[in-house]
Amino acid sequence: MAEAAAEKAARPATAWRSYGAKRRSTRALRLRTSAALVALTVLAVLVVPPLVQLDQQAVDLAAKLQPPSRQHPFGTDDVGRDLLLRCVYGLRVSLLVGVAAALTATVVGTAVGAAAGALGGWVDRGVMRVVDAFSSVPHLLLGIFVVAMFRPGVWPVVVSVALTHWLSTARIVRAEVLSLRSRPYVDAAVSGGASRWRVAVRHLLPGVLPQAALAAVLMVPHAMWHESALSFLGLGLPTHMASLGNLIQSARGSLLAGQWWPTLFPGLFIIVPTLAIAGLAGAWRERINPRRRSELML
Amino acid sequence: MLELRDITAGYARNAPVIRDVSLTVAPGEAVGLLGPSGCGKSTLARVAALLHRPDAGTLVLDGEPVRRWRHRAPREQRTAFGVVFQQARLSADPRLALSDLIAEPLRATGRREGAADRVGELAATVGLTADLLGRRPHEVSDGQLQRACLARALVLRPRWLVCDEMTAMLDASTTAALVRVVEDYRAATGAGLLAVGHDRALLDRWCDRTVHWTALTAAAAGAGTSSG
Amino acid sequence: MTGRAPVLSVRGLSVRFLMPGGRRVAAVTDAHFEVRAGECLALIGESGCGKSVLASALLGLLPGNAQTAGSALLGDLDLLTADERTLSRTVRGRLVGLVPQSPAAHLTPVRTIRSQLQETVAALTPARGRAALRAAAEAAAERAAFPADHLDHHPHELSGGLAQRAATALALVGDAPLLLADEPTTGLDRDLVDRTVDELRRHVDSGGDGGEGRALLMITHDLAAAERIADRVAVMYAGRIVELAEAAAFFGAPGPRHPYSRGLLDALPDRAFTPIPGLPPELGALPDGCAFAARCDRATDTCAVLPPLTGTVACHHPHAALTEAADRARTA
Repeated sequence: MAEAAAEKAARPATAWRSYGAKRRSTRALRLRTSAALVALTVLAVLVVPPLVQLDQQAVDLAAKLQPPSRQHPFGTDDVGRDLLLRCVYGLRVSLLVGVAAALTATVVGTAVGAAAGALGGWVDRGVMRVVDAFSSVPHLLLGIFVVAMFRPGVWPVVVSVALTHWLSTARIVRAEVLSLRSRPYVDAAVSGGASRWRVAVRHLLPGVLPQAALAAVLMVPHAMWHESALSFLGLGLPTHMASLGNLIQSARGSLLAGQWWPTLFPGLFIIVPTLAIAGLAGAWRERINPRRRSELML
Repeated sequence: MLELRDITAGYARNAPVIRDVSLTVAPGEAVGLLGPSGCGKSTLARVAALLHRPDAGTLVLDGEPVRRWRHRAPREQRTAFGVVFQQARLSADPRLALSDLIAEPLRATGRREGAADRVGELAATVGLTADLLGRRPHEVSDGQLQRACLARALVLRPRWLVCDEMTAMLDASTTAALVRVVEDYRAATGAGLLAVGHDRALLDRWCDRTVHWTALTAAAAGAGTSSG
Repeated sequence: MTGRAPVLSVRGLSVRFLMPGGRRVAAVTDAHFEVRAGECLALIGESGCGKSVLASALLGLLPGNAQTAGSALLGDLDLLTADERTLSRTVRGRLVGLVPQSPAAHLTPVRTIRSQLQETVAALTPARGRAALRAAAEAAAERAAFPADHLDHHPHELSGGLAQRAATALALVGDAPLLLADEPTTGLDRDLVDRTVDELRRHVDSGGDGGEGRALLMITHDLAAAERIADRVAVMYAGRIVELAEAAAFFGAPGPRHPYSRGLLDALPDRAFTPIPGLPPELGALPDGCAFAARCDRATDTCAVLPPLTGTVACHHPHAALTEAADRARTA
């Protein structure tokens, strides 16, 4: 024993070199930045409206179209409303629409895709024809068509965005179910006496849920952009609601007059949260990707 | 008796992978099926284990012709087979810990009571330690995972074992260990075995008789029909 | 043993992984070996013993949570410290040719073998111009015994054996002095295994600068394949090389000296077909002493101390070495 200790002491300490530390740190930085920005976004839309006892609709015609200042960090719009407050409320609406639409689209898409993939045969063929038919119509056109059938409001926009976005989720989920269905572990479950329902619920669905959830998260920015586009065209939310699309739409005139702030800040409020959500989803995708799951190659 | 008579099977219409193949495994017998990869022997094994419906031909299980496959097959017929596949990684649900993996057939057939004991007993049989049982597939090696897959195949005490290239990815020691587990089980229960593989030395050592794939297909081509 | 200079010289190579929660997994520990020109060294061991991690380390393909120690000298270049730029520009393909585990996955599915060969030729050799590339690609295919009339096929149209030859042809294009074959025979039939390793052996004996041959490091769990072509055998257990022996003595008489190696051979179906009892230890929780002691019928109290690799074997109670050469090596 003493010999061993002596030998251990005599042997020079192993000089370890880290490997790929740089790659890891950029990944971590991206993840942290995205997470911080998403957290900030959520915090802003949840906390600011109840805490700040200011009326976003407060019109102050004496202070209209003021550039950013101490009192109005983002400036004011053409009727003197504070743009920072308007942007936060707009983000709140956009995020609400985005999340609601993404959830609806994901539930519909997952159900349809899973049924098509798991049942196969004529169900699969029929469902996929419908998906193809929907996909062949341009998204925005279909969205406009749906919105035009209702009175302006939040829910028509949600329905419109959801109706145009469940297709991709259905495709992803169906493909995933098909690939899982041919795995030997499903064969093993069948041989182990599992019923059709048990195979679907215990073995297939859990396998596709991470993909579906990822698609849902990635869809939130999509839906936000879609809402903004509809509102910008004047077809989305009623103009008195501060949605980001409405803000940019109403700022068109002042941009030509050289007043940049009413366009820039709502635009940033769309771009930054959507990029952050996409960044977070990207990091998550790296985690659930089975090829990366096992960092230890045993 | 497990009789495969004039089986034609494949995955696309008009393009059968196997054509008019017949093979019989007597109760308690160990038959090795030897053939090159991609020849269709795995498809035949899947047909035999009621996992793939053949396009033509009959499968007679203990004197009774099988009419339905996969989920449509009666549960007692399906669970009469224990199957082990080549790639343990793909045969294990990645979300289940090894103990759940082994217990899954018990739960699927509603035999929950005593499941923990049965899992512990089988884990000892296949040589898995207690701390491995709590891990998920990506946390164990191929050899350890294949041990768990073999335990899962044995958990319902099947009368037939179908081992499709069970040891092709494994090292010599794990191969010998798993074959020993299968043989101990067969000695205790009298179960029959269809072992599919491409290693002649292994199948000759393991099985009562080894059938070469080319002999099966040649018989089909030559005799036209054979009576199993 | 020839007096040729080693092509690859691995000195004290260790790889460990930092796992979440501060756990450390010692995948490879203190590996020493050399591979010479015209020689095939087979690195054998159970799955999960660390041999594929060693291959990844040599190729610079370790994941981000890995740490390395020691050196792996290829000429003057240390493969462990070389940066990604050096590895991709001068090492992979040019100095180290990789014969992959699954050629089907290694080849690009949407392009013909010819176009992949030509691209590799253009990247690795000075050949330029359409006719020259075409000729060089055909020559590369011929070297790997890949039939010329299959060059315009896509990978999925090839049999397993031909796909393996196509992958070998790609590995040979750069005329690298070292070939690294990572489980080249997994999932192949015995006939195909024999053909594949025989061809690898042919590339070891021919080629290389001055015709003295290439060096081949073959990582495999297929003992029959190793027996067929290897000059020397390195046995890996729980991340350490426990025996490094001449292949003829290892597979023939007097046989392996380490109890683990002996157990591996006894597990073969054409030998005793007896498994080694127990499971290999976790690489994250290795014992202080000999890692094999728990499964070893020769283990005694002395095995609580780590046995150093003396001569050819790292064991306190090795099986007897009958040959003079091994005796000399032991006392040396």
